[in-house]
Amino acid sequence: MAISSATKAATDALAVNRAPVSVGAQEVHRWLQSFTWDFDKNRTKYSTKYKMANDTKEQFKLIAKEYARMESVKDERQFGSLQDVLTRVDAANRVHPKWNESMKVISNFLEVGEYNAIAATGMLWDSATAPEQKNGYLGQVLDEIRHTNQCGYINYYFAKQGQDAAGHNDARRTRAIGPLWKGMKRVFSDGFISGDAVECSINLQLVGEACFTNPLIVAVTEWASANGDEMTPTVFLSIETDELRHMANGYQTVVSIANDEAASKYLNTDLNNAFWTQQKYFTPVLGMMFEYGSHFKVEPWVKTWNRWVYEDWGGIWIGRLGKYGVESPASLRDAKKDAYWAHHDLFLIAYALWPTGFFRLTLPTAEEAEWYEANYPGWYDMYGVVYEEWRARGCEDPNSGFLPIQWFIENNHPVYIDRVSQVPFCPSYSKGASTLRVLELNGKKHSFSDQWGERMWLSEPERYECQNIFEQYEGRELSEVIAEGHGVRSDGKTLIAQPHTSKDGKLWTLDDIKKIGCVFADPLKAL
Amino acid sequence: MSTSANSYNAGIMAKTGKDFADEYFAEKNQVVHESDTVVLVLKKSDELNTVVEEILLGSHKEQNPTLVVEDRAGFWWLKANGKIEIDCTEVSELLGKSYSVYDLLVDVSSTIGRAYTLGETFTITSELMGLDVKLQDVARA
Repeated sequence: MAISSATKAATDALAVNRAPVSVGAQEVHRWLQSFTWDFDKNRTKYSTKYKMANDTKEQFKLIAKEYARMESVKDERQFGSLQDVLTRVDAANRVHPKWNESMKVISNFLEVGEYNAIAATGMLWDSATAPEQKNGYLGQVLDEIRHTNQCGYINYYFAKQGQDAAGHNDARRTRAIGPLWKGMKRVFSDGFISGDAVECSINLQLVGEACFTNPLIVAVTEWASANGDEMTPTVFLSIETDELRHMANGYQTVVSIANDEAASKYLNTDLNNAFWTQQKYFTPVLGMMFEYGSHFKVEPWVKTWNRWVYEDWGGIWIGRLGKYGVESPASLRDAKKDAYWAHHDLFLIAYALWPTGFFRLTLPTAEEAEWYEANYPGWYDMYGVVYEEWRARGCEDPNSGFLPIQWFIENNHPVYIDRVSQVPFCPSYSKGASTLRVLELNGKKHSFSDQWGERMWLSEPERYECQNIFEQYEGRELSEVIAEGHGVRSDGKTLIAQPHTSKDGKLWTLDDIKKIGCVFADPLKAL
Repeated sequence: MSTSANSYNAGIMAKTGKDFADEYFAEKNQVVHESDTVVLVLKKSDELNTVVEEILLGSHKEQNPTLVVEDRAGFWWLKANGKIEIDCTEVSELLGKSYSVYDLLVDVSSTIGRAYTLGETFTITSELMGLDVKLQDVARA
């Protein structure tokens, strides 16, 4: 009987490239990767201005069997710990209440990042042509699905086993009113999945993962342990065991374009934009969560940043690529200033806008104020005095009739939202790298906090059309907006967010907010 | 307390307050500086605790005295000049059970440098794999 041409082609190929006799994983990997396709006619949905080489390698040489076995062992260890010993010792109730609140933000936001990374790496799989490179990206797609589940699970665990479930459960319903959500989506969503495929890889893998997952997923576990949280190290360090392959994927993306002429033209700009995009949000938010969301301090955030971002990512990743034309990011000077001060600026605003959150915040104690001043000389005169005034005016007590945002209004310190990063800033009361810039397009004003975002906006303004909360709710009363945006607990009246974590403190309700009569106003309209 | 230049709190990290700020904001530190070091984060586990104590702090430290290992609560933090290499055949003998390089990867949490596997060996190196040095495939049986 005659055989089909397809069968003959397969038989001929096998005759030349015989299947390995052994079942050694890396031998099988080498054999699988030798089967390549004709990519001349390959049509990718996601284009890139770079040409990705066809012979890029995968550093970890994974095949599906070893991948699945490895990941199942990780899950057995993680879920075994959580469901056995950590539940038995009531670990979730041993967490310091301040840190419990930080994990509402960290894990819920990371979940969004992981979810978007599924799409991002699927896009990269589509764009790459080298079989090994595709294999690396494919493994990452599967990892990101696992991580999304892990982040969801840790919030479920905190909500079910621990203290103050509100905010651990269903935080996403508050996404319209919380000013931190939109910035998070800029770094964790838009930056990963929109635009040039290689530029997305630089955002996700070379900067997001190789740089910022180390503070976000590794260093965070030191802070967690110090504050009684043993669940987060169990889950996050397991997540990070996949991240090293993602960092390798990002590096191999750069390897794959290193000999392309486009790299010498565009790579440094793309790297700087990605670095600024990621740091603009992660630097202040992580610093705020670590320092202001903990009782026991591990070290000043600026030191964590200096170690993982500046010295190690900067020196070992970017510095080593110098001979291939990769330059130190032009925005590094401003980023370093932000790493020292921007989280203090952000906490001041976050606390002032506390009713719009899905977590409880607390003012620094006298002991903490001493720690801040010792580690950030000049902190007290800028921030400490303000917190003392807010506390004296009863900002924690619903009967005080005082919301700290009133202090900004009374003292003529308008709060703006940066159009590109969506991060709130107060240019007249800031020690970070933020300064006010306002541009007008088609009769609409846009505020910017720095030259780097402004440059990105100028090159593609249509990309940054997201409404901020001041535009979205202009003229609306605050309690009405909170109710509409699902910012209340299951009783339908008590806010999820609170300005303290005290068990004895009174909880604010919609009525307490309504009595104050706070109305949203767009600061750009006053210019 | 370690005095190695590779320790977790070496150099500027040992400074506090104004001294730290002065060096942090110094003009020379407003650009990245190339580093020949590598960083490895190992999740604490039965196997990895043994690898750290018996291999990395044993024979590996003798071969590469720049290696520093620090206990950071949930993980071991390692930094060294050049490279860190773990041969899982050696680990397997030590543990008395089959232990492949993929078993090791279950608990390798983070890497700063170019990490790769070849056969049963895990390596993290400061070399630019794929650019300066070709990534190898396992030899044909």
